[in-house]
Amino acid sequence: MSDPLFLVAPETDKRELAAFAGSVLRNVDAVRRAYSEHRSARWVLVNASALALFADSVEVHNTWHRVLFLERARAARRELLYALFRVVVAPDKGVQLLPNAELQEVMGDEHAADLIIGGVVDPDDRRLIVYRGNLDRLVIPFDWFRSSAKGPRPDFNAFSVIDSGQTIKLGNYEAATDAVLYDFDSEARRRMRQKEIGADGTFGGSLRRLRLQKGLSRSDFAPISAKTIARIERSEVEEPHDDTLATIAKRLGVKADDIKSF
Amino acid sequence: MAFSLPLPPPFDAQGWKAKIRDRERSEPPHVTILHKRRAWRINLRTLRFLDCEPDPRQVPKQVLEHIGQNIDLLRKTWDDLYPENPVNSQEDADE
Repeated sequence: MSDPLFLVAPETDKRELAAFAGSVLRNVDAVRRAYSEHRSARWVLVNASALALFADSVEVHNTWHRVLFLERARAARRELLYALFRVVVAPDKGVQLLPNAELQEVMGDEHAADLIIGGVVDPDDRRLIVYRGNLDRLVIPFDWFRSSAKGPRPDFNAFSVIDSGQTIKLGNYEAATDAVLYDFDSEARRRMRQKEIGADGTFGGSLRRLRLQKGLSRSDFAPISAKTIARIERSEVEEPHDDTLATIAKRLGVKADDIKSF
Repeated sequence: MAFSLPLPPPFDAQGWKAKIRDRERSEPPHVTILHKRRAWRINLRTLRFLDCEPDPRQVPKQVLEHIGQNIDLLRKTWDDLYPENPVNSQEDADE
């Protein structure tokens, strides 16, 4: 499912990389070959020497490659990384990553895209940016982390990723990674829907799931009555009127065409 | 606070967990069994697996039995965290 994974570690680097499922590349020829054979791949560069080896090996144009750089990088080195890769994930102030052993396992997992390896909190813009095992990013508004009256409030100053990338922890508050992906990645949502056993596959079933996911009751769709919403959810209305659909979609914060994907 | 059902030995030491987190996919109500990089959702209304992958047979029978023995506690926990979608939803009866 995820792009191939390559680790660049010069011969002199003796760290334990056994848990990484990817290929370990240690010289110019190996890096050049791997780069030329793949238009898009995930790379792990273990340190500055590995970055130098990579930069010496490839000629970069319109890259689709993504990198996890395992050292903190000063500003100029970050610019080099951004010149070489489409996506850069690297330790920095405020960036939280999984512990190294879990990081290796998650990056090498066949479902790496459905796991989170870390992220960073942007308090000014009230967003949490998380990195997935395929090194893509997801941006989650703070408001998404809803809490119940009896539950804790999310503490964005205490962000971490636990359960091998399956849980986002914000102090005492925990959010399921699959719930994040279900709401913010239509492709992940499609995969999850395919795995469900006996789920209601009708438009009404999708509307009910999405409504509950948004924490809304049937009476939250005025001027549409709760009774009408109930009839649509029970598939007693064959095809809701366009105006009705538009009102429902607006209240749910999605496009009308997207409702059935939930 | 996210709820974690203590599991009996040796499954706790092996890293098996059963959780209801503060933000889950809301419908249907469920508890999630976690082990390393895998997760299985169990429907709190029917006690059945919600997904065909990962293979439900990978979950030890004793873990499932323990969840069954604690189903009332799990249902109450869900209802506390997700009052808008309780396990015994009366929505259809209401409309």
